[in-house]
Amino acid sequence: MRKLHAALAVALLTMVAIGVSSCGGSSGKEGGTLTGSYASFPDYLDPALSYTAEGWTAMYNTYLPLLTYKHADGEEGAEVVPALAESLPEIGNGGKTYELTLRQGLKYSDGTPVKASDFASSVERMFKLNSPGSPFYTGIVGAEEFAAGKADSIAGIETDDKTGEITIDLTSPSGTFTNELAMLFVALLPPGTPAKNLTTEPPPATGPYEIVSSEPGRGWSYERNPQWAKANGDAIPEVPAGHVDKIEISLVRNSATQVNEIERDKTNWMQTIVPADLYNKVKDKYEGTQFRVERPINLYYFFMNTTQPPFDDVKVRQAVNYAVDTAALERIYSGALTAAHQILPEGMPGHEAFNLYPHDMAKAKALFKEANPSDREITVWTDNESPNDEAGAYFDDVLDKLGFDSTLKTLSADVYFTTIGNATTPDVDAGWTNWYQDYPHPNDFFQPLLAGESILPTNNTNVAETDVPELNEKITKLGEEQLGPEQEKEYAALDREYMELAPWVPYGTNTVSTFVDSEIELDEVIFNPTMGQDLTSFQFK
Amino acid sequence: MEGRSPWYLAYRRLRRNRVALAFGGLFVAIVVFCLAAPLWANEVAETTPNATHTTERVEVDGEAREVVNREGKPLGPLWFGAGGKFFLGADGRLGRDEMVRLMYGGRISLFVGIVSTLIATLLATVLGLIAGYYRGWADTVISRVMDVIWAFPVTLLAIALGLSLALGGLDLGPLQLSGNSLWVPILIIAFVYTPYMARPIRGEVLSLREKEFVEAAVSQGAGPLRVMFGELLPNMVSTLIVFFTLGVGQNMLLESTLSFLGVGVQPPNTSWGSMIGDGFELISTAPLLTVIPGTMILLTVLAINVFGDGLRDALDPKSKVRLEAHAGIAEPEGTAV
Repeated sequence: MRKLHAALAVALLTMVAIGVSSCGGSSGKEGGTLTGSYASFPDYLDPALSYTAEGWTAMYNTYLPLLTYKHADGEEGAEVVPALAESLPEIGNGGKTYELTLRQGLKYSDGTPVKASDFASSVERMFKLNSPGSPFYTGIVGAEEFAAGKADSIAGIETDDKTGEITIDLTSPSGTFTNELAMLFVALLPPGTPAKNLTTEPPPATGPYEIVSSEPGRGWSYERNPQWAKANGDAIPEVPAGHVDKIEISLVRNSATQVNEIERDKTNWMQTIVPADLYNKVKDKYEGTQFRVERPINLYYFFMNTTQPPFDDVKVRQAVNYAVDTAALERIYSGALTAAHQILPEGMPGHEAFNLYPHDMAKAKALFKEANPSDREITVWTDNESPNDEAGAYFDDVLDKLGFDSTLKTLSADVYFTTIGNATTPDVDAGWTNWYQDYPHPNDFFQPLLAGESILPTNNTNVAETDVPELNEKITKLGEEQLGPEQEKEYAALDREYMELAPWVPYGTNTVSTFVDSEIELDEVIFNPTMGQDLTSFQFK
Repeated sequence: MEGRSPWYLAYRRLRRNRVALAFGGLFVAIVVFCLAAPLWANEVAETTPNATHTTERVEVDGEAREVVNREGKPLGPLWFGAGGKFFLGADGRLGRDEMVRLMYGGRISLFVGIVSTLIATLLATVLGLIAGYYRGWADTVISRVMDVIWAFPVTLLAIALGLSLALGGLDLGPLQLSGNSLWVPILIIAFVYTPYMARPIRGEVLSLREKEFVEAAVSQGAGPLRVMFGELLPNMVSTLIVFFTLGVGQNMLLESTLSFLGVGVQPPNTSWGSMIGDGFELISTAPLLTVIPGTMILLTVLAINVFGDGLRDALDPKSKVRLEAHAGIAEPEGTAV
């Protein structure tokens, strides 16, 4: 009887286990090697340096910060969750102090224990590397002194390796610092990690996968982090272990070839967007089975330099807003663009849809006539990547039709933003630009793109050079508060106030695509709006 | 027996070469086609080469059709379905009239090809004359500079110059050009091809300067400038005409390559090369956008090369004999023409 009972118990447990596993909704296989292709190598495979969607997708599951973004699609994926920290930070001292505790027993993939002081050394390494992410952390007490070489460490970061406590003091309250702690720039790396670009010799990982080889120009590959199963996996339930055992990414420069390889089941996934001429063909044939449209949070817009004639006149700017037809731009982007008419894109907290300037060429011409700008010779800038170059050519033609004598200047995409963001570049009157969120917080659009203090002599992101004191104050005040429903309403109002001044012509949010071969469970693939495709979610059928 | 001038004899020889004449006629037809661009644009298509029509509709046989559909696919050729509007369809997602752009693009391609060859021929002639006539240090300096330029692959050198000049323009004292000026590709092409003309011109000058008529001119007190430009240059005209003719085709091809790669003619201006580049992205859905300008380049370069060959045979019949002798099909001298 006892044997029978034991056998029944085993059978029941097995059935329960099978039931539980199938409740997860995943019916695919575990294991295997996922093959993927990128059209170009990411800017860096070093978490402290990478500032591109390609790099963040590549390292989302490799290098974990104290906090991370939930492994989920859409709005749910915008939620910040603990990663190496036990919980979200306790915020005190009027928003100026952030306290976190490192989870116990974590290890890097080489077996080195993860310590609280690694956070301080990782932030310091990022400053030593002059990382493009360093401006996010200059608000930490003593960070600027450290960056300038006037201090040996950052005074505002206190850590205790015994208890795992990490205390961060800021110079002023910040409502966005929680998001900034979830950025890869401050992912923890072992002590003594050299302060140099480690793209070709990736440092040990804390996430479910580690990068085991990296050859710029060819590709890179991952294997499971051996410490994930032993230590980190159980400690960090917010981060999934992943289904596949290995991931091999290769570079395929031609995106049409990438599509072809997926169609022939030679590659499992392409990170690159399906090219415009194949987009609709692929969408029609594979949508729902192998293809899915994804909506990262971004805004594509035309800027106008508000400090110089003719765009220092609000009527002229409003006329341009009426003249641009977003329906034309939707066609130019082959249907991959969703029209937008405001600063905050759909999906961003604080977004409340409105359109102050519905397309009306007659009204645009009447306003232009009323403003009667004396300076009509303008230069319009755009980069040479399709279809942005066509968007720029369209804008140039619209301005000519409105009454300007416009000259189009098309620059290589490699130097475009640094050129238009340099104060010494002449004739930056108007042009094309875009912005992808760093994190899902409305301040990430207002502060760098519209606040007066963001107008910089080089790498200027406020290319319209808007500097409205009362709106600057609102941005600063809201940036110091923790985001809640009240703040979201205020951001929505701020959005409208800026659009009344019309420094930009927002025209749309661009979509990207997930395209996988027939062997992959498309429904299981997660697209996080900040980090892109989640490699832990790929699973073979 | 009536004496005939060498030019008349050349004309007679050319007239007998029907193939060369036919391709010469084709080239003239292409030039006329391109020169008629404003006429077609104003009277038939009623648009300009850079005007966008993305959201517009055009009536074809009583049916309103979108110039660009919501998925970004442009209208195909309508021929005369809409009274000549969008004769070759729309150029892409901007909905510009492909025929109008083809005609205006041809003007730019031909202009760049002809002007850059003129500049290269002028420069090469002057440098070749100086190097060949003076020899010595002048020859050494000019030849070595030419060798340095020659050492770079033409296309790579042109791309490198095009990339840097398209970004920053050209600022050489009084010569200031913005990056999107049409003169940027013209000067680049002229610069990279000058050594390819200067070398053989120098060789010809070295040979001619030993001839009796040069000695006669010198003995009569002619100075170096008079000898170079009054005696040597007229004797090289036929060579220069052939170089020029063949150079135009070669330079048009280089312009197309540069514009295809985005470092030649800058948007919104267009040339046949940049039209191929623009259409390339839509090659699977609208292949004509690539095929039509590509065919125009092919026809133009073929026409000018075949005509150039005919011109060379007419102006310098011995060269044909020499070539055929190499091939083992030489006829006895004197019966070649």
